[in-house]
Amino acid sequence: MPQRHIVYLHREHPGDMAQLPEYVKAGGYNGLMKALADMEPDDVLYQLHRSGVRGRGGAGFPMGRKASFLPKDSPRPAYVVCNADESEPGTFKDREIMEFNPFQLLEGIVLAGYAIGSNHGYIYIRGEYEHQARVLDRAIAQAYEGGYLGSGLLRSRFDFDITLYRGAGAYICGEETGLLDSLEGKRGQPRLKPPFPAVAGLYASPTLINNVETLTTVPVIVAKGADWYATLGTEKSTGTKVFSVSGHVMKPGNYEIVMGDTSLRELLYDICGGFRPGHDFKACWIGGSSVPVLTAEHVDTRLDYESCETAGTYLGSAGCIVMDDSGCIVRSSLRLAHFYRHESCGKCTPCREGTMWMEKVLQRIVDGEGRMEDLELLESIMGRISGRVLCALADGAVAPIESALRLFRDDFVHAVEHGSPAREPMAPMGA
Amino acid sequence: MTADEIRGHIDPIRDQFAEGRSLILPALKFAQTEKGYLDGADLEAVGEAVGLTTAYVESVATFYDRLYLQPTGRRVISVCINLSCMLRGCDELLSHLTGRLGLPSDGGSTDDGAFTVQQAQCLGYCDRAPCLQVDVGETQGPMSLDDADALIEALRAAPTPDRLWR
Repeated sequence: MPQRHIVYLHREHPGDMAQLPEYVKAGGYNGLMKALADMEPDDVLYQLHRSGVRGRGGAGFPMGRKASFLPKDSPRPAYVVCNADESEPGTFKDREIMEFNPFQLLEGIVLAGYAIGSNHGYIYIRGEYEHQARVLDRAIAQAYEGGYLGSGLLRSRFDFDITLYRGAGAYICGEETGLLDSLEGKRGQPRLKPPFPAVAGLYASPTLINNVETLTTVPVIVAKGADWYATLGTEKSTGTKVFSVSGHVMKPGNYEIVMGDTSLRELLYDICGGFRPGHDFKACWIGGSSVPVLTAEHVDTRLDYESCETAGTYLGSAGCIVMDDSGCIVRSSLRLAHFYRHESCGKCTPCREGTMWMEKVLQRIVDGEGRMEDLELLESIMGRISGRVLCALADGAVAPIESALRLFRDDFVHAVEHGSPAREPMAPMGA
Repeated sequence: MTADEIRGHIDPIRDQFAEGRSLILPALKFAQTEKGYLDGADLEAVGEAVGLTTAYVESVATFYDRLYLQPTGRRVISVCINLSCMLRGCDELLSHLTGRLGLPSDGGSTDDGAFTVQQAQCLGYCDRAPCLQVDVGETQGPMSLDDADALIEALRAAPTPDRLWR
């Protein structure tokens, strides 16, 4: 199946899309011009709704519905917040979009603002993406100079400002309410919901918060129409999606594909060049690390939201981490447990304590000091975390490990008996 | 860093936020560029510039990985240790770097104050695993052990940056 760079990546365009004139030459800002000239805000909202586009950050919630939750009669100003805190392990799509196609993101934020009656957008970018933040700084400055941001933009009566805000290193600030608290100058800990951000988000004002990739979709939907967009993909998974593929494939990278068009097998073997000679697929975490693991049995899964759910996992952020048969599922699980323990914000006791115990038990299994009852202990710990916390981090910690323990039981039993001390060698392969 | 210097950095962006407290991260990040970390006087100055107590400022500063409350080396090398990089050999990269610099295997700072090596969570460059980041420069990868050696030599020869953005 071919890749189709029609919404996000535009790699075929000969010019530098991070420069305003090139973006305009490629048809950029057609959507915004069309909206300002011919469409009421509700028309834009309707197009988003009709397109079926779902949130690309991981949760997959329909964007149009999320935007429609904002109250129309609020006395407080509404805000658009772009979640550019891309920190989900294995996910690096927003990085490429921001670096090589920043104006489409800016245009999408302005259009989202127009749709919900907002005049101010914030981009919250993770501190580690300083290189991309500087690209955005330049793009924002060019957009102001060109009249694509500011008061009366494109000679309309619509005003819109964008502020870039840099984080300082915390996975939990990618959780939308953790992000809002961080942006408000607090510790970035998730909030109790409701109220949802649509009602009381940034500064307790109505707020539409969406991922970089989601907002980057908006100009294309508005310019080409929701009906065109919805012809791509399946009924419940419209459009294209950028898959970030990493790990043991020959050609890791970002690949934009039409949803439902392609199977995991085609992605791994045809698009990503398969595996090193003598090795083959063993496992993959398809939606970033916070989803149940898939095995060779699932390799014919179609790449869309509903097929992933049928296979027992989630499409998530489509940060697809792939492991071949040289990798150790127990060591991989330990590495993920370490990550979630480190990134648990500490607000909810089951997550703070549970992720710590998950790591401890997995560590002793890997070190060859495990006991057979540790496997039941692990299950018991995980059973006491899910559903007892404020945000999705803890569920994300449990999902890959609970599934690995279920689907690769023999590997865990073997590790209890023998440990798994071997370190992964440097594995130079592919481009 | 003094409160006035911090005000000089945040005053131009003050009107972009409905509440002044949002200036705390820009203020902390800037205050840190002087020494590469924040001491008690820096936290106090940030509090004064933003209008918050020192205790509150410290409670925020301790939340974030890239705000340092202990001295760091002149250059901070963050080696990604998450799953995609592990599968491509980051453990070997980390132990090579720490071994070469005479540091504990999980990272630390060199006695001459030149380097801090630390473990980082996913840096978002999994297609270039194993990867690492120097200060807030663009993340580099895939790093071979030879690349790591060359990087250390290049950093030793390079002048210390004027501002230590972390």
